[in-house]
Amino acid sequence: MLRPLYRWVLRLHPSGFRRRFADEMLSIFDHGVGKPAALSLLVDGLVSLARQWALRSEFWHELSPAQEPGADDIPSFYTLDPFRPRAGAVIHGLVMSTALFCLTCFAIRYSWIHILHVNIPVVQIDGAGASAMLERPTVPPRWRDKTPIAVSTAPHSFNASHSAPAAVAIENRAVQVSATHASETLGSESQERAGRLTGLRSATPAPQAPFEPYVGAHVDQPQAPQPKSQGATSAMIPAVAGDVKLDAAERQRVIDGVIANLTKYYVYPDVAQKMADALRVHEKSGDDDAATDGEVFADLLTSQMRDVSHDRYVMMVYSSATEPENPPAPSLEDVSRYRTEMEENNCRFEKVKILPHNIGYLKFNEFPDASICRTTVAAAMASLNHADAIIFDLRDNPGGYANMVALIATYLFDHPTHLNDFYNRSENSTEQSWTQPPVPGNRLADKPAFVLTSPSTFSAAEGFSYDLKMLNRATLVGETTLGRGHMGMGHRIDDHFIIRVPGIRVVNPISKTNWEGTGVEPDVKVKAADALKTAEKLAEKRLQK
Amino acid sequence: MTQWLGLRYNELRLMKDSVPAFLPLYPATLHILLSLASEDLHGYGIMQEVARQSQGTYKLGPGTLYDNLQKLIRRKVVQELGRRPGDEDPRRRYYRLTSLGRGVLAAETDRLADVVRQARLRLQIAKPRRA
Repeated sequence: MLRPLYRWVLRLHPSGFRRRFADEMLSIFDHGVGKPAALSLLVDGLVSLARQWALRSEFWHELSPAQEPGADDIPSFYTLDPFRPRAGAVIHGLVMSTALFCLTCFAIRYSWIHILHVNIPVVQIDGAGASAMLERPTVPPRWRDKTPIAVSTAPHSFNASHSAPAAVAIENRAVQVSATHASETLGSESQERAGRLTGLRSATPAPQAPFEPYVGAHVDQPQAPQPKSQGATSAMIPAVAGDVKLDAAERQRVIDGVIANLTKYYVYPDVAQKMADALRVHEKSGDDDAATDGEVFADLLTSQMRDVSHDRYVMMVYSSATEPENPPAPSLEDVSRYRTEMEENNCRFEKVKILPHNIGYLKFNEFPDASICRTTVAAAMASLNHADAIIFDLRDNPGGYANMVALIATYLFDHPTHLNDFYNRSENSTEQSWTQPPVPGNRLADKPAFVLTSPSTFSAAEGFSYDLKMLNRATLVGETTLGRGHMGMGHRIDDHFIIRVPGIRVVNPISKTNWEGTGVEPDVKVKAADALKTAEKLAEKRLQK
Repeated sequence: MTQWLGLRYNELRLMKDSVPAFLPLYPATLHILLSLASEDLHGYGIMQEVARQSQGTYKLGPGTLYDNLQKLIRRKVVQELGRRPGDEDPRRRYYRLTSLGRGVLAAETDRLADVVRQARLRLQIAKPRRA
């Protein structure tokens, strides 16, 4: 009897107070034992009712969105004062701001204020991709490089349909890559992830933007995504052997080009020199004489270079089709396709859930472009914001964009943190990667973190694991990762030959090295299949302390 | 100009939110801040803690409690933390003392200590001496 009455009293409170505290007051009422206590609380409620209406007018309409976080905990604006401007003032402000905006646009367009003199590109949309040349879409650094070869059969291979536009575009090259090469790659490098070939571009000009694999990517024309199945992809690789017969002069020219590119771009100059010497020795001893076929010659040079360097990622590629000297940038359509694809695939975030003991679990199978998937990441992390520990499952993650690595790592720190450096050997320049400023409302910065790894964890996913390990911010559980700490570029040698040279080295600021070749060692070594259970147990133990 | 505005804004904030502006505290406010000094509590927890601290002599009703919390949150003395999963009553929200709140509590404690010292001194002076 008294409870409904108390609820009724609470309902009569001003909306701001009621929305915020009525539930809790009712909760306290429910804890009251006996009629006297209930009566006392009812009287208290009536006094409160009078007080709120008579003395607290400033709180009557307080909506306080910041204090009413939604289920996803996405940060919202704070209202400083319960102030509402007059309608006339709002209209006045609207007119004034519109006028100011128009004036500013006019000034910029006609440049009669020199300080605002900026060059506004004229956008022309046509079907030939000219727009891409005029307005190149901003593409952030990408960590993983792509190749059409591995699209076909690697166990956890990265399907080109899930990749960036560059990969979609480069996929066309699958038609041109030799079947011999593909089988070699799949045999000896079945663990390799998608992409051993970043952007294909001319070897002659200096590198333009080493962290933008789209730059110079081989895009003949924007095309619809290719079939995804292995059979379909394999079927796209025709036997082109014998299309062009190589003579000694041609081989000499190619080897000169290879050596020039290795000397200029390869991450380690001494190893590049060793490879160059080996190529010369083989050439002089006549080992290359039998290679009159382009593909055979490309494979031969690849194996000669790898024998010396032990680098699985240096590679010669032969194409029967003519490679353009200045391949265009990816079109807006490519970027749009990538965006749509990411939206359809939830940015490759597979699982976001709370495990028993309030342990957050996030499984994602790519580090997509942060400029496109920022909202998805924010939503995923917000849903885990109240977790007491967090597990990142990277066991099937083949890497992706460095900006996404930094974005996700941001949630684990309460201050901007230096993650790693990207050293570009040919430019002798270093680009630093830092986490972003703390996310408002984030509560994960001091929570225990675990990263699950496997031999399929690759490239940027390894970078994420390695950075957190070096910073002592996460415990790595699982198996040693594949070991890809360099990034490579495709460089055009001539109309048919392209060399992929690892030219950018990730350097961790703490260890001063990276995981290239060795992989990232987990802190707790267990089978990848058991990593989640182990991490859960570790998290439970950590939380019990 | 911008610097001047920024300075002026900061000064206004300081004037409005500086610790002395909160003093003296009402008994209810003092007890609430005191109860939150050692740990984050929900409303019912605050009421119980206040009763425990005062050995049952001061009882805080929910109306008074939330009226005070409303004001303290507005003035950033107390921070609302929201609900905690797994709590026996999911309607409960937790509250925490902010650094400003700690400053206010410390200043009020000093002020009260001074009052007590003054009072003891005066009472000692007023006490009639034995012949």
